[in-house]
Amino acid sequence: MNRLVLTIILLTAYIAITLPLSASLKSRPDLVKLGYTPSAEVLKYITADQKLLAAQWNVLKVLFYYGTLLDKWRHNIPVAAEYYNMYRTICVAAKLDPYNIDIYYFAQAAFTWEVGRVKEVNALLEYGIKYRTWDWYLPFFAGFNYGYFLHDYKQAAKYLQRAAELSGQQYLATLAARYYYQSDSTEMGIAFLKTMLKQASDARERRMYQLRIQALSAIKYLQDAVRKYIRDNGHPPRDLKTLVSSGYIEKLPRDPYGGHFYVDKNGKVKTTSKLALHGKNSDNPT
Amino acid sequence: MQHFKLIFSATFVAIKRDRLLHALAGASLLLFLLVPVISMFSMRQVQELAITLFLSSLSFTLLIFSILLGVFSIWKDIEKRYIISVLSMPIKRRDYLLGKFSAIALFLMFTVCLMGIIGYGTITFAAHQYQSEIPVSWPNIFTAMLMSGAKYILLAAVALLFSVISTSIFLPITGTIGIFLAGSATQGLYEYINSGSGAQDISLTGQYVIKALYYLLPNFSAFDYQVYAAYTLALPLDTIFYTVCYWLIYTSFLLFCASIIFEKKEFR
Repeated sequence: MNRLVLTIILLTAYIAITLPLSASLKSRPDLVKLGYTPSAEVLKYITADQKLLAAQWNVLKVLFYYGTLLDKWRHNIPVAAEYYNMYRTICVAAKLDPYNIDIYYFAQAAFTWEVGRVKEVNALLEYGIKYRTWDWYLPFFAGFNYGYFLHDYKQAAKYLQRAAELSGQQYLATLAARYYYQSDSTEMGIAFLKTMLKQASDARERRMYQLRIQALSAIKYLQDAVRKYIRDNGHPPRDLKTLVSSGYIEKLPRDPYGGHFYVDKNGKVKTTSKLALHGKNSDNPT
Repeated sequence: MQHFKLIFSATFVAIKRDRLLHALAGASLLLFLLVPVISMFSMRQVQELAITLFLSSLSFTLLIFSILLGVFSIWKDIEKRYIISVLSMPIKRRDYLLGKFSAIALFLMFTVCLMGIIGYGTITFAAHQYQSEIPVSWPNIFTAMLMSGAKYILLAAVALLFSVISTSIFLPITGTIGIFLAGSATQGLYEYINSGSGAQDISLTGQYVIKALYYLLPNFSAFDYQVYAAYTLALPLDTIFYTVCYWLIYTSFLLFCASIIFEKKEFR
């Protein structure tokens, strides 16, 4: 009987103290700080066989910290973000576990649009690509960053081509080819599309590739003629019809995307469709 | 052989009845049950995190078990003077030592199998929460588990060697933990001094010390197959073969040294 009474008293006392304690802890000010992370070299040696866990712990630490920041910002509480510390922490995590996809996802999401550290993110992505050889997301992110943020279309095309090869997704192939076109690597774009065409089994997919190959081949045909014209005359033709009247080509090819080919003042062949079916009305070819 | 079997079965039964180990196993079980919940915090690799957490928990459990069993099983007999009455019987000291070690090794592998069954459930559950691009490779996970078991059997042999060398409990515990940490780091250090920058940063004497430690201490990082299990990477079969041979040779050597020391040890 005494035991039962004592148990009831202790349980009641426990509940009585837990509720106010919980409420009190809730109102305690948050320590919004990421804290110090030891270098990867040190962690590698002291974590023994728990490297993957240490890496994930660092990633989760950054994710929770970032979550707290978002929460504060949403409630208009100004808090300075430790971006450098966040980046350093996920770099440490990447060295401990280069296969961890959360690292690259977070870097892409947090450091490109908001902070503009695209070059750093791409360096991290390029590091991850060496390990996650099957994953198309990383080259896709890198390609997107090169094209959209850095306007390095050649690199963008290279990574998107890799992403398309890994994923087999047609739209990535299309995007890569468009970047090749932008970067004046039309020939590479055609070769890439021909490879993708060989692998494509779906009829619609094949038609898309054929259409793009047709367009890029037309551009290459015109570009070659423009180069010959410049070599002979020392300046680019005023328009593409000049190539026909001067006998460099027999007739102007048709843009399968519905646009019109033209030559700019630098002698580069372009099209009003920007190689997109909606291209005529689009401001951004990407 | 009969005496070996006797010691082996008596030790195994004693280990199974150890309440401290029951409590630790209970704590580990709780850890395993938390795996699917903690995995949900990951952005894109719930399944991979579940596998990592499971293997990490298993490794931690086996680390505690191997140190406790390796250090205390013989030390306790010496401390409580049971050893004098046991060895007064017609039992060879070598049989006594090997019987103890085999029971510990079997118990560690038994733990691996038991945890494996629980791990199967937790990983399957976590994998269904978020579809990963990478399929779960059970052969890789089982390889990582077995390698972990082998690693901690080797560590138990290290602990056993220390416990026959010293009559104090301090040396076996600190010595085993020290060897475990150093043996887990030597591979990384060895690779570092063989890299261009490492060769420049560390003095020649330091490099020789690292090389000596690399070849002398047990290489525990060779048994780490977590990354192969979590990310379903192709298992390097030749490396696995070499590691198993290394484990057999190194464990035999440690037991051989322990039995020589144990044969010559005087008990009063």
